[in-house]
Amino acid sequence: MSKVEIFDPALCCPTGVCGPGVDPELTRVASSVFTLEKKGYDIKRYNLGTEPGMFVENQVVNQVLHDKGPDALPVVLVNGEMLKVGEYPSNEELATWFGIQESELRMGKPKILLDVKFAK
Amino acid sequence: MQNFHPRLLKETPFLFFTGKGGVGKTSTACATAVNLTDQGKKVLLVSTDPASNLQDVFGMEFSNQPMQVENIDGLYACNLDPEEAAKSYRDKVVGPFRGKLPDSVVDQMEEQLSGACTVEIAAFDEFTNLLTNYDLIQDFDHVIFDTAPTGHTLRLLQLPSAWNGFLEESTHGASCLGPLSGLAAKKELYANTVKVLADSTQTKLVLVTRPDLSTFVEAERASSELKEIGIKNQLLIINGLLKKPMDGDEISTSFYERQQKALKELPTALKQLETYTLPFVSYSLIGSESLRYLFKSYVLPSSMQELVEINNDDLKTINQTINELNEKNSRVIMTMGKGGVGKTTIASLIAVGLAKRGKKVHLTTTDPAAHLDFVFRDEQVMDNLTISKIDPSAEVEKYKFEVIRNASTALDEDALSYLEEDLNSPCTEEIAVFRAFADVVEKSNEEIVVIDTAPTGHTLLLLDAAKSYEKELSRSTGEVPVAVQKLLPRLRNPEETSVLIVTLPEATPVFEATRLQQDLIRAGIHPKSWIINQSLYGTDTVDPVLSSKANSEKLWIKKVSEELTTHSTIVKWQPEDKLGNAKIQELIN
Repeated sequence: MSKVEIFDPALCCPTGVCGPGVDPELTRVASSVFTLEKKGYDIKRYNLGTEPGMFVENQVVNQVLHDKGPDALPVVLVNGEMLKVGEYPSNEELATWFGIQESELRMGKPKILLDVKFAK
Repeated sequence: MQNFHPRLLKETPFLFFTGKGGVGKTSTACATAVNLTDQGKKVLLVSTDPASNLQDVFGMEFSNQPMQVENIDGLYACNLDPEEAAKSYRDKVVGPFRGKLPDSVVDQMEEQLSGACTVEIAAFDEFTNLLTNYDLIQDFDHVIFDTAPTGHTLRLLQLPSAWNGFLEESTHGASCLGPLSGLAAKKELYANTVKVLADSTQTKLVLVTRPDLSTFVEAERASSELKEIGIKNQLLIINGLLKKPMDGDEISTSFYERQQKALKELPTALKQLETYTLPFVSYSLIGSESLRYLFKSYVLPSSMQELVEINNDDLKTINQTINELNEKNSRVIMTMGKGGVGKTTIASLIAVGLAKRGKKVHLTTTDPAAHLDFVFRDEQVMDNLTISKIDPSAEVEKYKFEVIRNASTALDEDALSYLEEDLNSPCTEEIAVFRAFADVVEKSNEEIVVIDTAPTGHTLLLLDAAKSYEKELSRSTGEVPVAVQKLLPRLRNPEETSVLIVTLPEATPVFEATRLQQDLIRAGIHPKSWIINQSLYGTDTVDPVLSSKANSEKLWIKKVSEELTTHSTIVKWQPEDKLGNAKIQELIN
């Protein structure tokens, strides 16, 4: 089974709601990772702000930081190999890496806002 | 009602003083500490106020380690400044990675740990460390906490249960507790802290008020909220009571009557508490000698009073200052200062004054203990004046709603509840209030905005948030409201913004306002004027206590007008309880 590791920049929280504006990309990644973890897939996220140790230990990530600085983050490793720099994986990519359907990244009932029109 | 005396607290080791800003928490706590020490006890005095003034009272600097107070055997004091605590917390986390990660990376980590949550958490961490440090504590007969203004105190004291609940409920490990994640290991320590606080043989809460309804309301709120989290051993002090008026002296009798009227309005919940009073004294409670006098005498012997002459030409009336603001056409006017100095009253005066002069004005407050509706009680507000209030809990709800609405099309139910969990974290409030503040300032495009800002410490956090926001903005990918982007440049522009520092002619408010001014200047904001509020000096009272107070005010008026600003305004003590519209009209015409 594939192993995916996402190295985040220093974040206050993984959903990004603590920032001055909410980044929908962060919220998507957070919920996808949450879903995959819950289903037992090997996916991990490290936050520079709270787990800086991982950024020192991991040679690949450490090298990127030394070459490009913190703006290179996020960095994504799949089975130890760096596949993405500076952006988060799309849901499609995540599904491909784990060999699953993209729809499996959602669990439970999707919450849809219904646009109900009443007869006049 | 009986006079308060520290001997009433002799049996309880942990004493917490709380109350609305300006009621005299620090003075009462310090006087109590000195008195207990004089009775042969060993006492540790702890300040958790970000704008602590222990150093002013004892004339020496303190750190977060207990230090012996000069010339008072058995009295030790320390200052748990949350900003300092956050700094050392940051150093502890980031320090080991210096040199191992590039500097730019370390900088980013540090920046992220500069937010409001880190400050809150680090302060609580220090507080817990102290309270559960048995080796240190057992050395003392009493530990006295001179806590920060009420809102902050409540957060600090409520945190243990809040965090406990949060850590239990948290289903995913790395939640918004980001900086807190390392603290889960300390859960037991926090549980112990809560236990000590709720044990009535160990902890007593002293609610300090003045004979003034707004301080009662605040104390009632604190009392019930703290009862809820188990702190039931409470005592009420009504500080600054004038024992008897001087017949025929208008100021003295209305001062007295105002207080007596307020006493009749004491909320029922507070009536059930043990209640004591402390007299109105004419002198500043600075230095151990005057602290000792508090439980003995209302006036200092004349040998301890200084003779001061001031130049009245240096002092503007509020009316003159409003004229200047009108001509200058400032778009944003902020009144700042310690709690209890009358920022709301001054902001109201200015708002009404400018509206009277034909300007379109919006008056708002970010003070959690806002009493704008008291000021304008039952009065018709003018056509070109609108009033609003920034209520933190309402702002948080609004912010949550907005975030969830924006996200809900893209997320399923599970992901949404995950998002909601992060939104329940303490830093959300800071963000939400900040955005509301920015929105109000944005209104200055169309009308003059007068803001009665929150007490000093909170205000600074707000402005500090503004500073780190700037950096945050430059790399944020999320959507940032225009109002937020424009905020700091606008506050820094003296053409657009006038900051007015409000103070009382007394030692502590002047010291704190001085520090506030320094902090503002550092943030690139230059105050336009100092407003000396509720001055007895200049009134014609001959009441022995009040006129002695008026005399001791001269020292502070002189200091403000000669050393601290080039523009001072003086507002005399007003006989009426709350300034209604009619009284405001009289003052500004």
